[in-house]
Amino acid sequence: MSTIIIRRLLWLPVLLILISFVTFALGIYGPGDPVQVMMGLRARPEIVEQVRKEYGFDRPFLVQYVNYVGNALRGNFGYALVKNPGQRVSDLIAKRLPVTIQLNIVVLFWSVPLGIALGIIAALKRNTIIDVLVRALVILGFSLPVIALMPVLSFGMSRRHDLGLLTIGPFLPVGGWKGMFAPEIIMPAFVLGLGILAIYTRQTRAAMIDVLSSDYVRTARAKGLTEWMVIMRHALRNALIPLITIIGFTLAGLFAGSFLVEAFYSIPGVGALAFDAFTSREYYVIMAVTLIGATVYVIFNLIIDLAYAFVDPRIRYKSGS
Amino acid sequence: MATTTIDLPAAQVELEKKARPAWLETWQRFARNKPALLGLLIIILLVLTALFAELLAPYDYRQTNLDAVEQPPSAAHWLGTDAIGRDMLSRLIFGARSVVFVMFVVATLTFTLGLLLGAIAGYFGGWSDTLISRLIDFLFAFPSLLFIFFIAATIKPGLVESLRSFALANNMPWLTDFVRSGYADYLVVMISLSILGWAGLARLVRGQILSLREKEFVLGAQAVGVPHWRIITRYLLPNSLAPIFVAISLGLGSIALSEGILAYLGVGLQPPNPSWGNIIAEHSVRYWRTWPEMIWMIFIPFAVIASVVFAFNFVGDGLNEALNPELHD
Amino acid sequence: MSNTLLDVRNLRTEFATQDGIVHAVNGVSFVLEEGETLGLVGESGSGKSVSMLTVMRLIPMPPGRIPSGEVIFQGNDLLKLSAEEMRQIRGNKIAMVFQDPMTSLNPVLTIGTQITEALELHMGMNNEQARKRAAELLKMVNIPEAERRLDDYPHQFSGGMRQRVMIAIGLSCSPQLLIADEPTTALDVTIQAQITDIVKRLKRELGMAIIWITHDLGVIAGLADRINVMYSGYIVETAPTKELFANPLHPYTVGLLGSIPRLDEGKREKLTPIEGLPPDLVNLPVGCPFYDRCRFRTEKCLQENPPLMSVGVKHWSACWNYEDVRQQRDAILKRTALPVAGTPQS
Repeated sequence: MSTIIIRRLLWLPVLLILISFVTFALGIYGPGDPVQVMMGLRARPEIVEQVRKEYGFDRPFLVQYVNYVGNALRGNFGYALVKNPGQRVSDLIAKRLPVTIQLNIVVLFWSVPLGIALGIIAALKRNTIIDVLVRALVILGFSLPVIALMPVLSFGMSRRHDLGLLTIGPFLPVGGWKGMFAPEIIMPAFVLGLGILAIYTRQTRAAMIDVLSSDYVRTARAKGLTEWMVIMRHALRNALIPLITIIGFTLAGLFAGSFLVEAFYSIPGVGALAFDAFTSREYYVIMAVTLIGATVYVIFNLIIDLAYAFVDPRIRYKSGS
Repeated sequence: MATTTIDLPAAQVELEKKARPAWLETWQRFARNKPALLGLLIIILLVLTALFAELLAPYDYRQTNLDAVEQPPSAAHWLGTDAIGRDMLSRLIFGARSVVFVMFVVATLTFTLGLLLGAIAGYFGGWSDTLISRLIDFLFAFPSLLFIFFIAATIKPGLVESLRSFALANNMPWLTDFVRSGYADYLVVMISLSILGWAGLARLVRGQILSLREKEFVLGAQAVGVPHWRIITRYLLPNSLAPIFVAISLGLGSIALSEGILAYLGVGLQPPNPSWGNIIAEHSVRYWRTWPEMIWMIFIPFAVIASVVFAFNFVGDGLNEALNPELHD
Repeated sequence: MSNTLLDVRNLRTEFATQDGIVHAVNGVSFVLEEGETLGLVGESGSGKSVSMLTVMRLIPMPPGRIPSGEVIFQGNDLLKLSAEEMRQIRGNKIAMVFQDPMTSLNPVLTIGTQITEALELHMGMNNEQARKRAAELLKMVNIPEAERRLDDYPHQFSGGMRQRVMIAIGLSCSPQLLIADEPTTALDVTIQAQITDIVKRLKRELGMAIIWITHDLGVIAGLADRINVMYSGYIVETAPTKELFANPLHPYTVGLLGSIPRLDEGKREKLTPIEGLPPDLVNLPVGCPFYDRCRFRTEKCLQENPPLMSVGVKHWSACWNYEDVRQQRDAILKRTALPVAGTPQS
């Protein structure tokens, strides 16, 4: 066990170097000559040369890479060129990060507990109508294309609908950002949480079904424990352990989902910044978002693996013996 | 002892029952699952639509008609027309061709690469396993969709530019036309979706092979000197196909979703290429605020993508249940 | 002297599956006296475990179903109790020990927790009392350093020790009846003997009744007072242990005895397996379920399933041709006739 931890810790810096290298190489040279891409094809050649020198693109590739990583480590990810020309990418991100974090906290707050609860209920009521409905909800959560769901929902929720005698709506504000406690957050948090709800429900249901048919749950029942104790103490504890492994997926889903949701609902977060960067080819922002996203993701996954080992006594004690 | 001899041992009946081919039983279990059958039907319709798009589409999907823009559904245009008078039904039908084309190429690429590299890593172990596994670990170090976006965004201009200059340098007018008409977008989408796809499959195959490799029937084959490739192709892969098919079926659904998102982000298929994603990207910005009466222009492509993704999810779940009956009895 | 503890009458259990209804238990009746040890013998699928899980009402329903039967325990029909009333009996008055000690203990809870929770619930002990009692129980089943090991997790114990922990859990509330479902099958032979010895000793000390489920007649020869032989959901023969070994009157019992290795016979003896397979529990035959594998079968066996018939003192067999069995079995078993306890009544 401890050798696995050491191996993982040694692999981490290698992984981070690889990630930064690929991000840099693809981000700067993937689109072609970086200066041409920045300046456009019609730029005068002498100006192109000047910019090339100024930005250090005339130096060897490895030197440029080391410079980029060195600056990134000091919190400098280059400068925006297209939309906010001259602004530091790190400033742009730092300004917007709190918004994204607040949005994601709200998302996790509603979707994860609800997903786990639905999964437990579906497993306990297996093959009943409740289970069928929950499974349908899961498939919906996995299948609804977010890009189309957002406008459809917004239409349904925000407009006045004249239904003959009855006029309904508007229900919810669509778009804008007034902090994590304002009603503006409901729609984006709902859309962003749908996939997470689905994945937690499915995993909890599967794990609970597995655990409920296990020998030790039968033992617990044979002891005459109350159903509540059987489920909460014996079944749920074991069922929740494998859920740790999907925290990583959750994070990855939130990264990508934030792009679409923040952009559509005009939320001034990192996701919207990234969306704009992708559509307007703002490469330094694209690189920064990818690099930071991947680094956070890798470190998180390492923590999750260690947590997994810690929570499950079977793994925890292997290190002792 | 008074014995009569009526010989119909129970054992024999038992054996006859077992002798039904395995695929038939799998199909019967699959066919009991109504949503999965419905999903299969939708997939078959999708593929037929893609194959016979020219026959089915009433108009050319590129043909604009400024006298008939933003028409509601009518006899002439069953699903109406868009902002520059293109027939929506025809755009959706050719969009189906795009999505099926992308799915087919990506699935073939990822299946081949994933199976090959996963089998090599799992069977031979040693440095080939280290190399392949580290590569997989590295690819999975990126949050998946973010990485797909990143690849598509960074390789697109460079790829288009180098194809163009390659065509010019080698005097290949067809390649120039290919690039000019925007078909290079397909390459971008396929490459970015395949880079992660194979890794997921390879990891799955490797795990399967690692666990099968220690089974008696494989050890037996090795002991009598069956060559490696024969063991891999005859003994290991056929026995690890079940979860691979399930993963591919579920993966195809997410390819349809990702294709849409890439188009929406502006790094996937762009007009004039027909794509459900770019229809939604265009319409969701244009219509939901300014003209809510036109919501069907978003709703119809929404329903089309959703039902295709549903279909692949249902089929994947159905396959999973049919191939692993012990999970569900 | 003895009172009836458990009276099972015409118990049936079925499972609805995709292939049809599986008839797992098909009208089982027997009586267990207080302090008696009953062996329940049969091969896998004979319904021995399912019938006992039904008594404990631990059958998952659905897919399980109990279409008929009564389980009278101390005067109450367990099948009629509410879930809550039944829960108070489980682990308290009737305890069960399962086959596989590797999977029957919860991996994420300490042994201490798993023993004390039942004590706190059924005996109303506080945590301190329960821990003290749990340590005593572990000592009773010969686990050294009992107090310290209460805080250990199951994976820190060997298979044999885990099964002793399971027995300690089973005995924690001093039940009147302990059901042991093949508790030694998953263990090494030497460990098996330890476990049976511990159970024998505890039975002497505590005096509870035991139902011991096994597929191996050899294991319970020295343990059980009486043996029920089960086949495809029916009890096919029941007799006191000595009588059953000396005077088996069902072809299946003869087959089971023929497949026990015997040390006294020398090495020339070959074991005789029972040929064929048990019938499909979805489509049970009209006649005797053992027909296909039976060397005594007649026309009648195909038409009518024999009920349990009295064939001796406290001895019943479900075979139309038990007289043929009586005459030929010693030849089949290649043994000299053993002294028979009672004289045949028929």
